[in-house]
Amino acid sequence: MHLVAQTLADGLVLGGIYALSAVGFSLIFGVLHVINLSHGILVLIGAYLALMFSNALHLDPLLTTPLVMVVLFVVGYAYQLLLIQRSVDSSHLGSMLLTFGVALMLQNVLVWVFSPDVKSITPSYGFASFHVGGLTFDVVRLSALLTSLVMLSLLAALLKYSSLGRIIRATAQQTLAARLCGVNVNHVFALTFAVSAAFAGAAGIVIGIILPFAPADEAFWTLNAFVVVVLGGVGSPAGALIGGLLLGIVNTLTGQYVGPAFPNVTMFLILVLMLLIRPNGLLGNAFSPSR
Amino acid sequence: MTRRPALTTAAALLIGVFCVALLAAAPTLMPPFYVRVGQLMLYSAALGVAWGILGGFAGYPSFGHAAFIGVGAFAAGLTEARYPGLKLELRLVVGLAVGGGACAVLSAAIAYPILRLRGTFFAIAMLGVSHVCAELNNNVDALQGALGLTLANIAPEAWDPATVFYELYLAAGVIVLFIAWEIKRSKFGAGLLAIREDEDTARMLGVPTTRYKNAAFVISAVLTGMLGVIYAHSLGYITTDSVYRDDTNLNLVVFSLLGGIGTLAGPVIGAFLLVFITQVVLGNLLDFHLFATGLLLVVLVLAAPGGILGLLRTMRRRPTVVAAE
Repeated sequence: MHLVAQTLADGLVLGGIYALSAVGFSLIFGVLHVINLSHGILVLIGAYLALMFSNALHLDPLLTTPLVMVVLFVVGYAYQLLLIQRSVDSSHLGSMLLTFGVALMLQNVLVWVFSPDVKSITPSYGFASFHVGGLTFDVVRLSALLTSLVMLSLLAALLKYSSLGRIIRATAQQTLAARLCGVNVNHVFALTFAVSAAFAGAAGIVIGIILPFAPADEAFWTLNAFVVVVLGGVGSPAGALIGGLLLGIVNTLTGQYVGPAFPNVTMFLILVLMLLIRPNGLLGNAFSPSR
Repeated sequence: MTRRPALTTAAALLIGVFCVALLAAAPTLMPPFYVRVGQLMLYSAALGVAWGILGGFAGYPSFGHAAFIGVGAFAAGLTEARYPGLKLELRLVVGLAVGGGACAVLSAAIAYPILRLRGTFFAIAMLGVSHVCAELNNNVDALQGALGLTLANIAPEAWDPATVFYELYLAAGVIVLFIAWEIKRSKFGAGLLAIREDEDTARMLGVPTTRYKNAAFVISAVLTGMLGVIYAHSLGYITTDSVYRDDTNLNLVVFSLLGGIGTLAGPVIGAFLLVFITQVVLGNLLDFHLFATGLLLVVLVLAAPGGILGLLRTMRRRPTVVAAE
């Protein structure tokens, strides 16, 4: 019983981080209908930037979040406007292949700049932990989870209450109607991408402090985001949260009870099954192009 | 589909036969390194054409065809390891039959559910299939994916193995190309084309879309699996990582995209070109491979979404592109 509870708790913590790492992907998917295969590399860039900034400025890695997010916001805006927007019309695979190409290039750049070795960020409280009712929690993991939840709530509030959020949601619902109402759609798309990239960067920091990372991990984080989105539903922080938590629990449970090598198998089986049975995700946001 | 005059078809055939003869004779003249590059080119081209039967003709781009390479390779390898007394000439035949058969079973089993997904969703689901197959192969001990599997030699003693595999790939490539050509000019091929252009309309007009899609998927998978069997023998020793490769998954898409998707010659041109670029031009710049492939993808998507053949066609049709636009 105790082991089950501990596994579930670990799964929830991991799931919170998965949710944050997927929310940007989900937003781009929902608003732009682009499958951003460079999402994982944006996450990793966030982690590497945090490593760089926290070393250079002697800051706690979590405090570099605003800086990293600003950098990735700018990069994301330019990336969408200059590259992705131009590929969207060429073919339905165009944007997917373009983002994949960019992911390969950036992965290579990361290898050049930071070496292919595995890195990690260790904050000062790296090895502290505490007990609640017989369960053990690492301070690091818990602060990562808290950051994830705060960031997700911020994004949800941004989308729900701010005028930018309203415009983004309107564009997602009906691009043409939004355009007729005077929305500069390309600008909104770029802003959406910028927000997504910024949140991917924030996720990178959180991932960086609890897990080791290397340039070759980008595919894992992209696929992970895809699974989370397919599980939870497209385009909303709530969907990402549900998908992320579920995936986290499934991962730790299979790791604990089936075998440490099997979480990926389960993850992809779930992905394929969900695509087949319920392609709209558990929250069921209308999303038809899958069939 | 366009009906070409008989004379052009004959000329095309003649050129084709000439090219094949030239390619077959080439290894005697080339230094060993280029025989290896030639092997890779022919193998890639054959894979590209096999991929194109589903991805190009029917418009279902699979991101997970390495699954079939791996399943074919391991099915053949495990069977051959079971019967070590098999004669040299029979080994490859048995391997091809078992590898192809395994892929037929796998693809037929997943065809119906997975082909209900369209476009990018199908692509990603196939990537999932490829990863699941790879991980299972790696983690189930009986399949020896992590340990590795040594395959018996199939090249006759007196011959240079590199040349033998070169000629094998050439023969396989010609056969795959012939099958694809036969499909493209048949009613089945026309049905696949209709599915690519507008699946719902095609079904409404009486094209048995599900049956056609499934058939194209199985054919593509079996051919890919058999090529995987030859590939495994040419490697001699395989592990999960050497056959279930994500860069194969990607490259198969890039070949078609580079040459021209949905055409017969497109994947061949694309494969030859990409292998030439990565192996010969960038041969000494291993650190640069990922970047170059990525850059090529980006440039392709932005500048020539129809591939090289598409670019040629537009230029031929409209000599003054700028004026027409």
